Amino acid sequence: MIPIAHGLVSRADLPIPEWLFGWAAAMVLVVSFVALAVLWPEPKLQREQWFPLFGGRRLITRPVEIVCGAIGVFLFGLVVYSGLKGSQNAQANFAPTFIYVIFWVGLVPASVLFGDILRAFNPWRAIGRTVAWIARAVARTDLPPPLEYPRGLGRWPAAAGIFAYATLELVSSSNDSPESLAIATLLYSAATFVAMALYGVEAWSARGEAFSVYFNLFSRLSPFEAREGVIGVRQPLSGLPGLTELPGTVALLCVMIGSTTFDGAAEAEPWTSIAPRLSDFFQDRGLSLKDALEATFAVGLVGGILFVASLYWIGSLGAKSVGGGFTTTRLARTFVHSLVPISLAYIGAHYLTFLVFNGQSIVFLASDPLGDGSNLFGTANHQIDYGVLGSSPTWYLQVGLVVAGHVAALTLAHDRALALYPQPRLAVLSQYWMLAVMVGFTSLALFLLSQANV
Amino acid sequence: MSRNQRFALVGAAIAVAVIAFVIASSGGGDDNGGSTGNSQTQTTGGGGSAGQAQVERIDIVGDEVKGGVRNIDVTKGSAVRIVVSADKPDTIHLHGYDIEKEATPDKPARFAFTADIEGVFEMESHTFEDAGLEAGVAKLVVEPS
Repeated sequence: MIPIAHGLVSRADLPIPEWLFGWAAAMVLVVSFVALAVLWPEPKLQREQWFPLFGGRRLITRPVEIVCGAIGVFLFGLVVYSGLKGSQNAQANFAPTFIYVIFWVGLVPASVLFGDILRAFNPWRAIGRTVAWIARAVARTDLPPPLEYPRGLGRWPAAAGIFAYATLELVSSSNDSPESLAIATLLYSAATFVAMALYGVEAWSARGEAFSVYFNLFSRLSPFEAREGVIGVRQPLSGLPGLTELPGTVALLCVMIGSTTFDGAAEAEPWTSIAPRLSDFFQDRGLSLKDALEATFAVGLVGGILFVASLYWIGSLGAKSVGGGFTTTRLARTFVHSLVPISLAYIGAHYLTFLVFNGQSIVFLASDPLGDGSNLFGTANHQIDYGVLGSSPTWYLQVGLVVAGHVAALTLAHDRALALYPQPRLAVLSQYWMLAVMVGFTSLALFLLSQANV
Repeated sequence: MSRNQRFALVGAAIAVAVIAFVIASSGGGDDNGGSTGNSQTQTTGGGGSAGQAQVERIDIVGDEVKGGVRNIDVTKGSAVRIVVSADKPDTIHLHGYDIEKEATPDKPARFAFTADIEGVFEMESHTFEDAGLEAGVAKLVVEPS
């Protein structure tokens, strides 16, 4: 009784062959040992060096901001309008493909390559700033200052938001209904505007607004960052150590990795054996088939997140046991930035073909967003070309991403350990534990790739 | 970390690589072992003529697929023939390849095409789907040639 992830997917990946799985797993171990041997003995990434480009000229000026914001607001409006007014066939409507493929998956590699793109195009931020500007102009005075963002709230609202999104995508039975997606978008927007009104547009975008926080994490892997409108470059991997330690960040990363884990595991054993039994269990308790399936998937999603959280917690407990006087919570928070490349590797490996193949749908959906037969740009008859990426290149890319994520995570954790522990010996000992955690995550990612679908 | 420790670690890494290679090369021989329950229709050769291909039969009886949902394994480029017979009027849809055929109790749905896209594709019954059942009747698995 396993519905395919959502109505958009009509093709699934072949699992990676056994020999490649074996080689990749061996590579991970080799890389890990070599890393321990050759990585630098002094912290190198903790002080971020940033060099302005284009002679330090301000390129992101007010007009550029306005144009980008307007594009974001236009796309936002198009998603909501298509979802409400367009065809309710998920594949013929602009909204599901734009939200699930272009926005949710496509913005991840875009952020890693080019920096915090969502910040420029963010429709909620653009609307919030415009409203504030109009209010100031009408009142002819400064608005009362927003409430101070509570420190204890940290990134918890973002963690909750990403969890809600994952529930919509992976648990809800109406996940491919364009209308439900539009309504969910509107509800989320309403909550965002209320929070922006309370805490200020910038403060909420930086910490509370789920998608801003989510894509900002990935943009920290990018060599590019804009500061005060000036675009500059920085050393690879030096953007993540600057992530401020805030409550809720560990939860956010566990939700991110856990939900991708569940999405991958949902297609294969052992979940395909467990799910029907769970579903029967819920039906025996009086739930309808639809509710029982949703309850089953909710259990799977929460289970995936808790599994990831416990793996990380064990690593942090282990790191505590080597001494140095840090609490487990402190260690978990201090090393959490090293999970960002792991999350990227999971997303890259799991959604690579979804992006490459289903992303092509946007070509014909742009011409016919409502699915009513219009052909605005003459591309409405375009079809998905499944020939652009064969299975072998897909496998190598998937495995390459997983191994690269592993290396980046190791490097970040190693560098942080050197900065954290006054004694180099403790730093090395703590990294045996973090290394075990990373090998665990990476093996799980490879296992999911080798199990998928068949 | 001392110089000797570093050498020891690099040595350990090389040892792991050698062991991995031995394991991978000895275990790599039976990749195509296939799991139980899969039908093995390795129609290699990829001649365009559908006439040479082995025919896969799927029987739908009383809202169930006889023998359960199974995988149809083929190699890219090979000719595929699938015949789906149903005891109720039905529309059978092969995703990805996007081929739809009608089946009636008298006349089964016949699919004949060349497997030119790699991947795993769901074959669905619209009658099952409308009845709120799991719609899959078979999975087409196209391996690289």
